[in-house]
Amino acid sequence: MKAILCAVLAGASLLPAQSTKTPDFTGVWGTFTAGRGGGGDPRLNPPPAGQLVLKPEYAKPYEARRAAEAEANKRGEQLATAGAQCIPYGVPTMMSVAVYPVEVIQTAKQMTVISEAFSEVRRIYLDRPQAPVEDVAPGYYGRSVGKWEGDTLVVDTIGIKTSVNGYRGMPHSDKMRITERFKLVTPDVMHDQITIDDPVVLEKPMVYTLAYRRLPNYEMVEFVCDNNREYVDEKGVVRMKVKEK
Amino acid sequence: MKRTLLRLLAVALPMAMTAWAHHSFTMFDTSKSITIVGTVTEFQWTNPHSYIEIDVPDESGAVKHWSIEMGSPSILQQSGWKFSSLKKGDKTTLVINPLKTGLAGGFLNTATLPDGKVLGNGPGRGPQK
Repeated sequence: MKAILCAVLAGASLLPAQSTKTPDFTGVWGTFTAGRGGGGDPRLNPPPAGQLVLKPEYAKPYEARRAAEAEANKRGEQLATAGAQCIPYGVPTMMSVAVYPVEVIQTAKQMTVISEAFSEVRRIYLDRPQAPVEDVAPGYYGRSVGKWEGDTLVVDTIGIKTSVNGYRGMPHSDKMRITERFKLVTPDVMHDQITIDDPVVLEKPMVYTLAYRRLPNYEMVEFVCDNNREYVDEKGVVRMKVKEK
Repeated sequence: MKRTLLRLLAVALPMAMTAWAHHSFTMFDTSKSITIVGTVTEFQWTNPHSYIEIDVPDESGAVKHWSIEMGSPSILQQSGWKFSSLKKGDKTTLVINPLKTGLAGGFLNTATLPDGKVLGNGPGRGPQK
């Protein structure tokens, strides 16, 4: 009887957002840097990232670009990137941009993630199923839905447009699917395990984990990119504008 | 060849889990620190970077204008900066890494404010608050 009642209540979304089994990720989170001067417990560090294994036809241009970047770097130049032009990072790269924190606001129906860098916002719906990929307009954040597996929030994201590269320019197709597993490994340390699956571009799914620490009193800083004095010259190199008189 | 490529990617990737905030610092000559002393013409507390615009006189009195890039407000506040730390007309001493191009621009290491306080350029970049 009790089980039936619980099932009915759950179906009617009358249960509270956070039961004893579902953690509340609400708060501001900074990069967890144990063992690198961060002072945290190194045992809470995420496992090493998996291998990025691109299919040969994608590996070749990817590696050529990386080689060109390295060559430019030797010359003291940086090749143009989306970030240098203030183009948002999108999912999943926005989840870890330099040392900028992310703010999580969690309710029963939605988890919202705001990245301080570029003020990027993603919405993860917790009360509805995923849409077919052909119904999702490609964008920077795609469409994300989440469901609880015990104490872990499993988030499925589709619809990231192909011009939005993963970190270090990793290419992807419109078939890319991102699965994240958000978990509190302690009350104040959160892990986001990210699995990128793309049957067109990747030989096997790419898995890496980001670690965060709670920043209890941090107030998010406004970040509107309205004074970008970096520009890309005719050779595709990032330059800084100076105001010489 | 393919195996070598895969190995390279595997090595490169752990470095790449975190994106650059905006751009790398390759354009600045970090092997060179120079000190400039002058008068602030504008302090831009902006994103993606803050800037100090400064007029710097040489021994003959000729003035050269410099544009000095800093971190973003979020980064700077972690080493004690505020939007009001500098204003037009303030005299300041800046230690910078100059642009490799030779243009009058650079990246801030430290700034000595009019009250004598020395600030860096965010965590791990000079004196902390």
